[in-house]
Amino acid sequence: MASISARRLRKELSEIHVEGCPVGINLLSADNFEQWLLSLEVMGESQYPGEVFALKFRFDPNYPISSPAVQFVVDGKYTSPVHPHVYSNGHICASILGNEWSPVLSVIGICVTLQSMLASCKKKERPQDNDRYVLHAPDNPKKTRFHYDVDTV
Amino acid sequence: MQPTMDRREREGLPQAPRLVSGDLPPEEPIPSYTGPSFVTDDPELSRLTPAELYELNQGMLNDAVPDRPLIDQLKHIAVLRSEYEHGTPAFLQQIDYLRSQGYNGIRRTRGDGDCFYRSLAFAFVERLMNSEEEELEFSVMSAISTLESVLPMLEAAGFQKLVYEDFYETFVSIIKQIVEPDRLDHSNLTPALLLEAFQSPEVSNSVVVFLRLLTSAQIRTDPDSYADFLFNPELGEPMAPREFCESFVEAVGKEADHVQMTALSRALNVNFSVAYLDGRSKDGTVDFVQFDSGNDYGSEPMVLLYRPGHYDILERRSQEPLE
Repeated sequence: MASISARRLRKELSEIHVEGCPVGINLLSADNFEQWLLSLEVMGESQYPGEVFALKFRFDPNYPISSPAVQFVVDGKYTSPVHPHVYSNGHICASILGNEWSPVLSVIGICVTLQSMLASCKKKERPQDNDRYVLHAPDNPKKTRFHYDVDTV
Repeated sequence: MQPTMDRREREGLPQAPRLVSGDLPPEEPIPSYTGPSFVTDDPELSRLTPAELYELNQGMLNDAVPDRPLIDQLKHIAVLRSEYEHGTPAFLQQIDYLRSQGYNGIRRTRGDGDCFYRSLAFAFVERLMNSEEEELEFSVMSAISTLESVLPMLEAAGFQKLVYEDFYETFVSIIKQIVEPDRLDHSNLTPALLLEAFQSPEVSNSVVVFLRLLTSAQIRTDPDSYADFLFNPELGEPMAPREFCESFVEAVGKEADHVQMTALSRALNVNFSVAYLDGRSKDGTVDFVQFDSGNDYGSEPMVLLYRPGHYDILERRSQEPLE
């Protein structure tokens, strides 16, 4: 039997192909069940006009029971959005990716949540502990235990 | 959702009290934190509160002991008693009381915050399996039709089919195996196969997730019945049904409290009771709290054993049936 992650991701992928992605979200690559890339753009008025970001999803075989590792891609082509909950290395401090993860969320669901997190940003700034965090950050953001405010986004 | 610790410290605010979700009963030794020796590469550690450290420790212990079963074999309740022998006499009295009431066995679950759902799911399937021969087929079919009938409720609660169907199928296929041989095992469900299924993370956690979705859907589709009872377990503040369900029902590893148990009793249409082993009884008895929103009168309710922060299954038998 295929792993639960493969069963679920196959369905998510087919839904994306049938129904398309929500506005501002596009599938960049999904040719295996370990890692997907999606692009993300904030529509309408925002702090990020014209900026296109890429999100990297990494899945373990227990997805969606365990959360995917999600981060913004930082390379020659993409940068991390300047936002109080996003570190310059692309790591994201969002409780839904950590201790409030639930299998109800899907790849697209996460993208939409992050899109609205960016859309509601009032002031472009990095998290206050950005430099210290980035210096010591593990490769996989799931290994970080972020501390979340009662939702202020 | 920004990192709060720095701000709180800077402003001299006290840390919000946190529930320890490590979930171990109090008599098991609490691992003491002896300094940052095992995670020295993490400079953040020194900034954690003791409660956070404890939680972190628990997480690491659970990770470090992967062979601690998600759910264990049935053990004689004397095993539990022996662990309390150096503890408070109140617990011993209560354990003796349980024995006097005919409860001779305990089936333990891993303390991962999913223990209520896992215990109940296991007890649910096991009870079906132990139905009288002539009622077996009927019991299994009734259970499956109950599960089928809740699917529209899941849809009504706003869950996509792709979100719940794999978990649903996993649960139903275990129940079906009680009466028809499984394709993989070529055998009907036996006590050994049931235990094996619930010890396999993939199967076991899928069932847990399904029960969480069911509980959530019950609350979301009947918010008026539950709204007055939804509080943030960490902050004590009232919460809206949707937020409560997202954060404390659907989220993996979040413990169940009275509201979730009531909702699940209703959604699964089953009765169960919870024996509170809390060391607080004056006369050494144990309170059994009934969750009887279901319609299955006649059959003896399933019994879970609650110790602060943790659920196991309480049984009349003291060892696994030989099969």
